Amino acid sequence: MAGQTDHSLSIFSAAEVEFIAEDEMIEIVPNIRMDALNLLCGDFGPFLPQIPCTVPLWLAVALKKRGKCSIRTPDWMSVEKLTQVLEAERESPREFQPLPFHYVEISRLLLDHAHDDIPEVYMVRSLIEDIRNVRFHKVESGLETISGRTHAVKLKNLSAMEVNVVRPFMARVLQAFYKHDSPEMVQQADTSASKRPQVVDRGPRVSLSCVTC
Amino acid sequence: MGRLLKLREAHKTDAPATCSVLWAHDGSHLATSCASDTEVLIHDLSAPPPGRSGSNAGSSPVVLRHHKEGVTAIALGPMAGPLASGSFDHSVKLYNFPVGSFQGNVTRFTLPIKSLAFNKSGSLLAAAGDDDGIKLISTIDLTISRVLKGHRGSVTGLSFDPKHDYLASIDSFGTVIYWELSTGKQLHTLKSIAPNYNSDSSVLNTLSWRPDGEMLAVPGLRNDVVMYDRDTGEKLFNLRGDHEKSVCSFCWSPNGKYLATSGLDKQVLIWDVDLKQDIERQKFEERICGLSWKPVGNSLAVIDVVGRFGIWDNPVPVSMKSPTEGVVLNEPHPLFEDEDEEVLGKGISCYSGSLDDSIEKGSGDFSPISRKRVKKRGPSFDEGEEVLQEIDSRKRRKESENKRGDGGIRERAVRMQDAFQVGFTPPQQGKRRFLCYNLLGCVTSLENDGFSHVEVDFHDTGRGPRVPSMTDYFGFTMAALNEKGCVLANPCKGEKNMSTLMYRPFGSWANNSEWSMRFELEEVKVVALGKNWVAAVTSHNFLRIFTESGLQMHILSVNGPVVAAAGSGDLLAVVNHASDCLSSGDQVLEIKVFNINEATQTISGRLPLTPCSHLTWLGFSEDGRLGSFDSKGNLRVYSDQFGGSWLPVFSADKARKSEDENYWIVGFNATKLFCIVCKSPESYPSVMPKPVLTILEFSSPLASSDLGADEVENEFMMTNLQLSEIRKKIKDMEAFGLDVTALDDEAFSLEVKLDRCILKLIASCCHSDRLVRATELARLLSTQKSLKGAITIVTASKLPILQEKFSTILEERMLDDLKTPEPIPTGRSNGKTAYSVQPPVRLSPMMEKSPDLNNRTPNTIKPQIKSSPATETLKLVKARSSTPENLAQGEDISKERELGSKLEKLATFVKGKGNATSEVTGKDVSSSATGNVKPELKIPINPFARVKKVT
Repeated sequence: MAGQTDHSLSIFSAAEVEFIAEDEMIEIVPNIRMDALNLLCGDFGPFLPQIPCTVPLWLAVALKKRGKCSIRTPDWMSVEKLTQVLEAERESPREFQPLPFHYVEISRLLLDHAHDDIPEVYMVRSLIEDIRNVRFHKVESGLETISGRTHAVKLKNLSAMEVNVVRPFMARVLQAFYKHDSPEMVQQADTSASKRPQVVDRGPRVSLSCVTC
Repeated sequence: MGRLLKLREAHKTDAPATCSVLWAHDGSHLATSCASDTEVLIHDLSAPPPGRSGSNAGSSPVVLRHHKEGVTAIALGPMAGPLASGSFDHSVKLYNFPVGSFQGNVTRFTLPIKSLAFNKSGSLLAAAGDDDGIKLISTIDLTISRVLKGHRGSVTGLSFDPKHDYLASIDSFGTVIYWELSTGKQLHTLKSIAPNYNSDSSVLNTLSWRPDGEMLAVPGLRNDVVMYDRDTGEKLFNLRGDHEKSVCSFCWSPNGKYLATSGLDKQVLIWDVDLKQDIERQKFEERICGLSWKPVGNSLAVIDVVGRFGIWDNPVPVSMKSPTEGVVLNEPHPLFEDEDEEVLGKGISCYSGSLDDSIEKGSGDFSPISRKRVKKRGPSFDEGEEVLQEIDSRKRRKESENKRGDGGIRERAVRMQDAFQVGFTPPQQGKRRFLCYNLLGCVTSLENDGFSHVEVDFHDTGRGPRVPSMTDYFGFTMAALNEKGCVLANPCKGEKNMSTLMYRPFGSWANNSEWSMRFELEEVKVVALGKNWVAAVTSHNFLRIFTESGLQMHILSVNGPVVAAAGSGDLLAVVNHASDCLSSGDQVLEIKVFNINEATQTISGRLPLTPCSHLTWLGFSEDGRLGSFDSKGNLRVYSDQFGGSWLPVFSADKARKSEDENYWIVGFNATKLFCIVCKSPESYPSVMPKPVLTILEFSSPLASSDLGADEVENEFMMTNLQLSEIRKKIKDMEAFGLDVTALDDEAFSLEVKLDRCILKLIASCCHSDRLVRATELARLLSTQKSLKGAITIVTASKLPILQEKFSTILEERMLDDLKTPEPIPTGRSNGKTAYSVQPPVRLSPMMEKSPDLNNRTPNTIKPQIKSSPATETLKLVKARSSTPENLAQGEDISKERELGSKLEKLATFVKGKGNATSEVTGKDVSSSATGNVKPELKIPINPFARVKKVT
């Protein structure tokens, strides 16, 4: 758990990432009648009982806490979809499955605040945990493949929380490699005395746990 | 029939295997096969050895040994058509029937075959199995005409639609697909509606069309057989009864009136499909996996999983109609030829059944004959008079069949629909159900140990009062709910339990203000609730009206058996049957709307429905408009237009996104429908999880026009409708002297919306070169700004003629505006200040019809518009070009001439206002028109027009 343990290295704390994720939109079913809310981030509503409408997650959670609505679980959070994703994650060790960018945070918020609206909540919870573990494991095992000649790493479908955890570490590693590599490269250039352009010498792009979709 | 049917061994099996049995079309032979036996047997039943009691005792069967492995499926073509067999050895073979000679191999698969089916004419054979795809094989040249791919599991059942439009297939996962034969497309895919036997190969799912093709029977998931509609694939009803395990096989009687089903519980049940009731049953030692009705007679051949078959005589009690009655026998040969041997031999029991029925009255003298025949059995009786009688009776039978032809349809048609409570769902065992669901809340009930718990919930938890749940000892089945209270009622069950009506107010200053009424020898059919009143319609066709506190206020008579009732505010709508159903199956309903507080009747007339449908919902919108919804998914809204008529505003067929959606309507407002979307097998929502409403936009059932702008046309219709409703409301409120400013604003914004819509339509008219229609649309525009917009559109699409026309309209409009200040003071002097608020609006022709609008501006609007120099322009234009549009306008002009002196006065008035008129006369016409009006008018005058006129 290279970066995961040391949170001081991350640019954002987990709470901050969660805060960002709260701007994601989600569908709720209000059980109150309320006029439209005109907020800085947009107009939401009007709210009519039993008629679904789309609001930011923070508003959904706020309403939910007051018992004014039920949150509709997003499609990807159904047991069926999650099982598929988990299987696919396990089957393809070098790829990440497309999930919402903030899937960790959204699922966490929903499981914390709206667990009564999620069908088969225990199953969903354990599936998401599994998916998260599989993906983090993939990131970590991928990190091992970074060698001295790696200058860039391409990661597709990585989610916010995962990026947040590995980014500082990864950046530093690459930086360090670069720093230690450079004298060697200079030396090489001296010994060979060739006028090859430097680009060739720069290590190949290693695609770590890379995806080509 | 209590006795156990004796079965005879035909195929030897070590383990249970699927076996099939088929009757020859004339009932003379039986073909049997077994999945663990390579042989197909043809049993000749026409020569039973004398002395044996059952007709199942034939001579030694013809054995067909052509397959290398077990025979999984057999099918028989029509008439003495070929017999086809499919096997585990991947081949399909054809034989002559009943001779049994081998005709040839039809096709080979890569995997075992599981099912075969011939179409009704015998020209196509469908074969399918574990292979990916159903093969359709032409039996004439044995070529594969089509391969239908779509099933994921092995296809275990095939059935051709008797009308030859569709093929239905079912796979081992329980998925049913309707294929269109002409295109090979999948019409409906009904997923997992039948039991999943993917892991159990000993049971094969089957399905079967009713012989008339109107419905498809499929084994259901709840030990039942479910009927699906021929065209829509919707669930119609199910036959559920005493099967303790899933139904694995079934067969329709030749006339489609009865269905024989066999279940995994080793029972065979005979159903009367119209009554949805099982009428006969028999238990067997082993599971029956094949059933076949005798095509001519009242017998059923059965075969069990160990390869033993038997014939069950008279499975349908003799007292009931014969299972073959009403079948049109398509016999190839005339009556007198070779039928004596075949038909007379076996038709005994069938004739006894059909004879009794076909001779309407004096069946007395015929029954002995049939009894005699039963005793005699077989062809051993001497010819002569017997034969003559037989033929005679056949003729009569045919006659009665013909007579019954239309009668049969009537019988099949819908009955008069029962009374129903709006927003209820049928009871389900052990599950909570809705007694009433509306936009406000719901009343639910759960039966438990003989009494129920009734709960009232409001959707708006913030505002609705909290109502404690109550225990209900009456067994309430009807409820109505509004803000102030709820009314509950129960039908009478036997003598002890009288029909009761109970009202529970949610808030009252006095304790114990709940009340109930009991009805002796009378049954409450429907209840409704409104502002300070409760209504109940009873089985005596009484409409009883109570006040909120339980005072019996009025008792009225209703014209016929009640169907539904709905209340809102002061209004109560009651729908009742006006007469028996039409022969086409249409319900004849009548609706009345009462104003309870004023004791008046506001609407009275027939309630229109889609053909062959019934009413499923009735109610008022929040703004008091009445709407009805029928079983075919059409919403109609009552409108005052055309002296009160029902406008179709929504059709589920058009709105449906996928085939398996059902809309369970809850309510509607001016432009939208609120409903709960149910996935197909379900047609109504369940209480848990809480249903969520879906909003659907109205859409008129418009004809597909040449414009290709259906959405805009729909919007145009809807906005027009809305506008007319609002105008009506404004008029009503003005009559009471109320403030209508808010409504006026709403009307104005609607007009703007309408204009936008018209502009879009003009644009698409320009595209498709519909210039006359474009001009007509331009006349409907209500503001000058949008007219200018229209001119921009036509300029952009380079249509100088239209540009000219539109400019003329705009000129007229502007002149009109110049004059409008005149009538306003008179309006004010009338004391109706509201007019001054209203924008100067030109009314569309529809609006102009309404009398109040004409009264409002008594002598301004129409005549004077054109009494201006613009009319002169028109005349000149007309003189120059004689296009039909111009001629049309010419009519208007001639009308104006009649107005005579009035016009002259106005002309002088206009001249007085315009400053340059005196010089104008000699000038160019178009400039004379502009010269009269404000200078800003020059802008829209188009350059083309001017050039054209100069040349």
